[in-house]
Amino acid sequence: MTRIATHSDKAAFSTLFDHYAPLIRAYSLAREPGANLVADELAQEVLIRVWLKAGSYNAQLSNINTWIFTLARNCRIDYFRRNGRYISDIDPTEIFNNIEDDDPGPFQQVHQDRLAKNIKSGLSKLPREQAEILTKVYLEGKSHQQTSTELKLPLGTVKSRVRLALRKLQVLILR
Amino acid sequence: METLKNHPKDELLAAYAAGSLPLSQALCISVHLEHCTECTQNLHQLHQLGSELMLSLQPAKPSPKLKDKLFDQIDQILINAATTEKVTLPTNEANHSLPRCLHQFIKTGYEDISWKRLSSDIYSYELCRDQNNAKVELLRIKPGGTSGTHTHMGDEYTVILEGSFSDESGFYQQGDFLVKNSLDKHTPVATIDKDCICLAVTEAPIQLTGFFGRMLNPLIRRSYA
Repeated sequence: MTRIATHSDKAAFSTLFDHYAPLIRAYSLAREPGANLVADELAQEVLIRVWLKAGSYNAQLSNINTWIFTLARNCRIDYFRRNGRYISDIDPTEIFNNIEDDDPGPFQQVHQDRLAKNIKSGLSKLPREQAEILTKVYLEGKSHQQTSTELKLPLGTVKSRVRLALRKLQVLILR
Repeated sequence: METLKNHPKDELLAAYAAGSLPLSQALCISVHLEHCTECTQNLHQLHQLGSELMLSLQPAKPSPKLKDKLFDQIDQILINAATTEKVTLPTNEANHSLPRCLHQFIKTGYEDISWKRLSSDIYSYELCRDQNNAKVELLRIKPGGTSGTHTHMGDEYTVILEGSFSDESGFYQQGDFLVKNSLDKHTPVATIDKDCICLAVTEAPIQLTGFFGRMLNPLIRRSYA
């Protein structure tokens, strides 16, 4: 990442492409199965942003996977809005883009790596119905309402399954 | 930063992190996040969850052309950067007391808005509509003023921008985030020291429940349509 930022290193960027382009495409296809062109466009858009923003990326504050996830999420929201599939007067860039450059607080690599490890092992042990809801919400980008309709579950059940999953994965600071 | 007591629920913050929340609700949460370090930290961890979920997907290889296309675009960027001087855009020195996500609607400050009078105590200003015709508006309650007892036909999301108010269930200050649904009947009263300004998202018009309030309902519905 540093090589991309300071030397505009194309070889480093090429390696990054090989790793992330297939994942970003998979993320796009999770929402729109079969839409390969959309997936290509999203991957391109996200990776261009990575190239342009490489200088502002701070590894101390945010791990690269997380950073790329937030970029992919933002680009996907933009894409759907631009293409009229999400009717709204609200400009999402001012809601989410600020955050991608934000200082996420006193985060340390160690803490992040530990959390990532916990999440990874937690995900493999998550009850199927909770994992299914996380997939809907995070990967397919479905609202709670849409999830409830698609899975024929009461809205309250959808919400409580998200809550249970988060608790089991210990993602949140309890208050 | 004071510690806030009223936060979005976990599943709502997760939907925000996932990008699957209606933008109107995301707007309210975004304001809350500017005031709440705890939720900001949680958000960051929810992003980490998102990235782990993304990494768990079966990778979908792109065609070899995509890489060429991307590198062409990067070459173009490099050429442009070399040939054009850096233009520094005039930074929009918007009023810094306004949350950043509201700059798209309000350029200067709450004073310069053409508020619409709803009652002697309340003024409103509609910012926009979201999907499902959810109404996004600012509400301004005069010091000590009340909006009258009401219930909601749909969910109402509120975040306090300035001032504070209280109702039957608590006291709310700048940055506090609350959701009321059709079962909640409440009577918000602004504190007497200053105006209370809120950002509110309503999916359906509120229902006034008092005798006079009920007579006003048709008028409110008309203003909503």
